[in-house]
Amino acid sequence: MNKFIRIDMTSLGVKIEETPEKYAGLGGRALTSSFVADEVKPTCHALGKNNKLIFAPGLLSGTSAPNSGRISVGAKSPLTGTIKESNSGGSFSQKMARMGIKALVIEGMPANDKFYVININMNSVTIDEAPPEILGGTGNYKAIEILSAKYGEKVGIAIAGPAGEYRLPTANISFKDPEGNIRSAGRGGLGAVMGSKKIKAIVIDDTGAGQVPIADLEKFRAASKVFAQALMSHPVSGQGLATYGTDVLINILNEAGGLPSYNFTAGRIDHNDNISGETLNATITDRGGDGKVSHGCHPGCIIKCSQWYPDKEGKYITSGFEYETIWALGADSGIKDLDDIAYIDRAMDDIGVDSIEIAVAVATAMDGGLLTWGDGKAVLDAVKQIAIPTPLGRILGGGTAVVGKVCGLYRVPVVKDQGIPAYDPRPVKGIGLTYATGTMGADHTSGYCIAGNILNVGAKIDPLKKDGQIEYARAMQIGTAAVDSTGMCLFVYFGIADSPDGYQALIDMINAQYGLSLTAADVDKLGESVLKTERAFNKAAGFTNAHDRLPEFFEYEPCPPHNVVWDFTPEEIDEVYNF
Amino acid sequence: MAEEGKKTIEVRGFLHLDKTFREKYGKIPLVYNLEKPITGIELAKMLEVPQEEIEVIFVNGFVQSLDYTIHPGDRVAFLPPGCPGPYRIALGFYGKNQDNEANFRIKAKKDENPG
Repeated sequence: MNKFIRIDMTSLGVKIEETPEKYAGLGGRALTSSFVADEVKPTCHALGKNNKLIFAPGLLSGTSAPNSGRISVGAKSPLTGTIKESNSGGSFSQKMARMGIKALVIEGMPANDKFYVININMNSVTIDEAPPEILGGTGNYKAIEILSAKYGEKVGIAIAGPAGEYRLPTANISFKDPEGNIRSAGRGGLGAVMGSKKIKAIVIDDTGAGQVPIADLEKFRAASKVFAQALMSHPVSGQGLATYGTDVLINILNEAGGLPSYNFTAGRIDHNDNISGETLNATITDRGGDGKVSHGCHPGCIIKCSQWYPDKEGKYITSGFEYETIWALGADSGIKDLDDIAYIDRAMDDIGVDSIEIAVAVATAMDGGLLTWGDGKAVLDAVKQIAIPTPLGRILGGGTAVVGKVCGLYRVPVVKDQGIPAYDPRPVKGIGLTYATGTMGADHTSGYCIAGNILNVGAKIDPLKKDGQIEYARAMQIGTAAVDSTGMCLFVYFGIADSPDGYQALIDMINAQYGLSLTAADVDKLGESVLKTERAFNKAAGFTNAHDRLPEFFEYEPCPPHNVVWDFTPEEIDEVYNF
Repeated sequence: MAEEGKKTIEVRGFLHLDKTFREKYGKIPLVYNLEKPITGIELAKMLEVPQEEIEVIFVNGFVQSLDYTIHPGDRVAFLPPGCPGPYRIALGFYGKNQDNEANFRIKAKKDENPG
């Protein structure tokens, strides 16, 4: 991969350069964050001309390595004001890698109000005017259909939905998946950055592209086989996720008393059966039709945690129906009908908004009296207003922090203005430390993968106590930053956490592809380096340790049933980044 | 906390045990008569849940190992291997499942370092 494509939207010019030497060994999040730190003015306005948007495949993307098709997108976030990397499935990453494209950068912004489509193929990169029929509120499902008909059914597509056109800070970037449905780089409002640069969509056609070069094919294949075995033989990645999806966590967190409910006023609900992964599986199985209990979000995925959720007649409603979305609408907002939640999920995908941020904002709006607890039909109507957008649509599309301010609330579950996801930090304290200190605002996926010798610490962790949690949060963030740079889905963690052979195989695949001899310690160092780069950007943007704090209400509102509060001191929290 | 004076426990099963319990007992939670304390292992045997299908149990919202003592009035849930994410560590499974046959992989590798 040696092409570094820069698109200047001010001059509507395209430059295809050799990849700068300093980025040659980087991929995914390591590359996007290094680039943003190097080239984006930390104090710039995220929607102004000085922000830059970068797309980068991971180090292993485009190869036959299982689960290696994640695309990383980076910029300064309009939601948080911090550096941001958000990643997604779909086919975009693998196509970029096979075409030898290390990164695609979009900078500047046009003087006019036209929207454009970037068209990338093996022969050229062009900037076309966007077809009017995909603009002005047209949903992503329809727009992807129109673009696929125009540019080819097999093209990869990245698109800013209506929310991105309106530059709302909850706008995501949606990616076409292998069946023409939608996957999303969800968090942090990068769709608004795309919209601010007047890019409606990026179309990529890899027809004629060769295979990704691999320095030692035999070693690569051997490592890939070990890696796949580690994933498939593990009860989580090999069976649990494919059967129940991530929504299996509803019952588990509910039982642990850590399922945030009714805008974080409790940790357990009584209607968990209505929205659990077990019910999701049974419903899809019973309804049949288009329904699939298991589905991969990108070619080469062998975990297949996604699913197709059908309506009562068996017709497809939505896919990638994730725990965090179902939690926020089902438990945190009190919506008891899984079909209502599915239609809202579809609407959020169609409008192009982060389904976590919007759903947390919905629960906050209910607490503020803007919506009625549990009223799924009213929520669907309100969410659809984002595509118009009405004033209510703009308020919800402004995210949780905006809704909290508009409603005059103190109970606003955000860190650095990003909504806190589905694990209450009071009874699950390690996650709370990651929410507080993560470089991109509250994000459960920023502390997802193991690094270093954490299992010994892990054996001593009690979710309700402080012991070991600082080391846990630190190691998980470092490990995640490294895995996010490989192009690997974070869920490979399940297989490699309990399998040293699987972890080594991941490193061996990178070594075989690039002719390197990295060790596990080198990979840990990469993770540390990514975090330090991101944190330095945030510091230059004005963030201090005082921003690494959970909302104050967690300190004085006990969370039932365990009735615990958040009790880490500022000094203890600051220890997470002492490395 | 067990509820005083109760002579039953509430039992839930997650993942595939959800379906198993619903088919066998008609509903979840199963309300099970219990007059004296028993261990999770004994309860699993009574309910015919194979030990290798249980990673940890929840008792009154706390993660416990399978040999933990259950009292009348308790709320119990059986969790098979399959909880995704880093939550097996964050929720304290690693401290409770080391001697459980269900965790063949963890048990076999507990002295090794993945990183």
